[in-house]
Amino acid sequence: MTRRTTDHIDEMAAHIELYVEELVAQGHSIDEARRLARVKFGNPRSRVEQIEESGGMQFVGAIWRDARYALRVLGRAPAFTATAVLTLALAIGANAAVFSLANTVLLQPLPYPEPDRLALVVTRFHTAEGTEGFDISQDGRQWEATRDRVASLDAAVYSGGGGGVNLILGDTAVIARQQRVSAGYFRVLGVAPLVGREFTVEEDVPNGPAVAVLSHALWQRVYRGQTNVLGQSVFLRGEPYTVVGVMPADFKSWADPDLWTPLRPSTRGEGAGTNYEVVARLRPGATWVQARGELEAMSVPEIYESRGRREGLTLVQDVQPLQQAIASSYGLRQPIVLLGASAGIVLLVACVNLAALLLARGAGRTKEIATRMALGSGRRAVVRQLMVEAGVVAALGGVLGLVVGYLGLEWLKSLGADVYSEWKMVSLDGTVVAVTLGLSALTSLVFGLVPALQASRIGVQASMNESGSRSIAGSARRWPRRALVIAEVALGVVLLVSAGLLMRTFVELRSLDPGFDPEGLVTTTASLQDKRYESAESVNRLFADTLRVLESTPGVESASVSLELPYDRLLNLGFRMPDDPDLVRTITNAMYVTPDFIGTLRIPLRDGRGLSAQDRSEAPPVVLVNESWARFYSKDRSPLGRRISILGTEREIVGVIGNVQQLASFSLDGLTPGPIVSAPLVLVPAAQTGDASLRTLHTWFWPVWTVRSRTPAIGAEALQRAIREADSMLPTAEVRSMDQVMARATSRQRLLMTLAGLLAGATLLLSAIGIHGLIAHTVAERRREFGIRLALGATPARTMRAVAGSGLALAAVGAVLGGLLSIPATSLVESFLWGVTGRDPVTYVAVVLFMLVVAGLASLLPALRILKLDPAQTLR
Amino acid sequence: MGRRRKKGAEGDLLAGTLDMLILRVLRAGPAHGLFIAQAIERRSDDVLLVEQGSLYPALHRLEERKWIAADWGVSDTNRRARFYRLTPAGKRQLAAEENRWASIVHAIGRVMRPETE
Repeated sequence: MTRRTTDHIDEMAAHIELYVEELVAQGHSIDEARRLARVKFGNPRSRVEQIEESGGMQFVGAIWRDARYALRVLGRAPAFTATAVLTLALAIGANAAVFSLANTVLLQPLPYPEPDRLALVVTRFHTAEGTEGFDISQDGRQWEATRDRVASLDAAVYSGGGGGVNLILGDTAVIARQQRVSAGYFRVLGVAPLVGREFTVEEDVPNGPAVAVLSHALWQRVYRGQTNVLGQSVFLRGEPYTVVGVMPADFKSWADPDLWTPLRPSTRGEGAGTNYEVVARLRPGATWVQARGELEAMSVPEIYESRGRREGLTLVQDVQPLQQAIASSYGLRQPIVLLGASAGIVLLVACVNLAALLLARGAGRTKEIATRMALGSGRRAVVRQLMVEAGVVAALGGVLGLVVGYLGLEWLKSLGADVYSEWKMVSLDGTVVAVTLGLSALTSLVFGLVPALQASRIGVQASMNESGSRSIAGSARRWPRRALVIAEVALGVVLLVSAGLLMRTFVELRSLDPGFDPEGLVTTTASLQDKRYESAESVNRLFADTLRVLESTPGVESASVSLELPYDRLLNLGFRMPDDPDLVRTITNAMYVTPDFIGTLRIPLRDGRGLSAQDRSEAPPVVLVNESWARFYSKDRSPLGRRISILGTEREIVGVIGNVQQLASFSLDGLTPGPIVSAPLVLVPAAQTGDASLRTLHTWFWPVWTVRSRTPAIGAEALQRAIREADSMLPTAEVRSMDQVMARATSRQRLLMTLAGLLAGATLLLSAIGIHGLIAHTVAERRREFGIRLALGATPARTMRAVAGSGLALAAVGAVLGGLLSIPATSLVESFLWGVTGRDPVTYVAVVLFMLVVAGLASLLPALRILKLDPAQTLR
Repeated sequence: MGRRRKKGAEGDLLAGTLDMLILRVLRAGPAHGLFIAQAIERRSDDVLLVEQGSLYPALHRLEERKWIAADWGVSDTNRRARFYRLTPAGKRQLAAEENRWASIVHAIGRVMRPETE
């Protein structure tokens, strides 16, 4: 119904033509007729605007016209448009990617029915020192008490993580991720198996039948989706397991396993420690208050025996909403909050930059706008036009930003999936698209409104006069831009300081002395949690067979097997010293090793002897300790010859080796805290480790074969061949170099450093562009003035210094401001820092200097144009 | 400049009256914008001078209110023009406006010449 604007324009044009014709018929010349018609008609454009402003429906048409006009205008300034759209696309893209993470990991409800009725049962602690928190790990007693005494909750128990296990499919062996869950686990989550059933209470008891539920992916891979899979056997850890169910394809859990087996919870064995997690669903009709009351009532001291009692430590059983509990316990929240904050700052700086760009452009277009207003364009129409222009930039930036966001997210996932497996599930969904587009609309308001309002305040007369550039550029209009430059430099410094601190942490961790020679070492690993490797004899035969092949391979210098490696999380154990009964609360890391372990890694022997092939099972039991162990537990005498009771046997300490770095798994007074530490370590000969110990150790830890060879390729090939020849049905993990093993230990720090660094770099770039733009604009605007100055004898160098100096001065103000802002802001990264504090002066000074150098360059480049000024030209 | 124009368009006595005049001209039959403008000037003996452009916001307004309808057609000089015609609703509106106008004129007349009543 509503007419298009073009129709109105057509009609008025027809009117004027008709009138001109009539006037000509009355005897006027054609030119005279045209002039009279114009006078009599008035300004058609202002009438069109008037019509457009008269009705809401018309407004849409006006916007459309403005948008097309904006596209034409933007097309005529490709440099400006490209800068603005790319700036926005990068900032929006970064935010879309980070928001996708936050959305999936922190915000979106978990993919289970009624997720708000799901929780983890946790133990809230409060220590005498005032630290508070909660622990999602539970022991067997706590689980049984929850099951039997909390009527308002339907609870199930599971063992966290999806550990790798050997799975034999026909004639190939693979490592599959297995998770152990109790009967009722799937019922509590509210997802029924697609085929078959979940575990029954009768199956979920110690020594119960070997049954398994398959993931949809594994079912498709192995059985190609056949429904007669029920009752078939899969070989897991060398034993047949009967398949009783298959989960649907859309079932997701935070552990992402290939198959599930019964947990068989108990209060002994692993159940004696806090190795379980308990998930619960509020029963119909029950309330959380009720559940909390019942949990609190069972918070009697004996149910948390395994946590040890300490003075002032109070423990209370409680519930924590599922998603929140997982996010904070698995350390998922903080990095995302940090990234989110950084991405937000990048967007803010991008907006600041765009506002400055548009402001400069607005200033450049003063004449155009004044002309339009002089021709009768309304002030509202001018503001609307400028806003629409900002909106078009934002729309282009937003759409391109989605593309950048999608690519960025894929990249983030590939970068972060090793560190945070939860990131794998993340996708860019409708919510993200909506939020992203909303965000760009919002940014267009932010960066479009200020310049639009400023431009609309243009006085027609003043501008028309000034348009000849006969006046010296007034400085008043540049103040908003200067403030914006200061703001973006300050924000850039805040991000750079955070990134710098994370970088210092990473460098600190990577520059630790490993304690061995990682050069030329390659490794692989296999799971020995397998029916065929339940005796020490079979395990050691495997080691001997593989080492024999390795050592006889040309190019291989030496080889060994150990339970995990330095830079891994190692087994930690309590131990006793029979000659020192006062020594209590002892804890040390421990590994079993084959004789040539310290030789292969080139760990220095400080005292005594190393291990040899003579340290067999029937020989007297011996161990090696490291210097850190000696420092903590044998301060006043040499550990050599002392006896230590560890792993169920009393052994003699025969040697002391140098320290090697390990992932921290416990803290000791006097041990430098950090993610990588030189913790006390005990090396036990693999040949002198008993059946039962090996079975237990192999539940959680894997043996690692390490080879020192002339080239990595020789070592890798030899490793695979040696294990295949010894046991063709033993699947091995991919071969890694020792460098990769070490890198994995700091992968979390590297990930954070990389991402924070990228975002800080983006901000730095934007700040540089901002300063560059300001100075370039100043130079362009004041060409005449500089021409006069040069003509009057000012030297180009002096003029340049004055111009570039103003950019540097703004940057200095911003940098100092940013430094001050960083002091509170770094509290966000504090918990990721090691070996450096949040107020590390070196970082602050380096960042500020770096920022000033960049700002200096960004100011100098446009100032160089002054050299090219020719007074004769500019003064004409 | 913009501000002044705006006031003129909405604040004048003529603004409301112009609508009535347009409707009145169209009662005689369909007409295009130029004809309407010239008809008003001619019948008022060139007392009411219409800036021709100002007709269009008014025409648009009337069209939006469905008091007039319009179609593209051909003028008597074989030119393309948009012809407006009165709708039934427009006729009723014109009748109402005429009554209102008559009572206003009557009332003003009594104020100006009380002794003749």
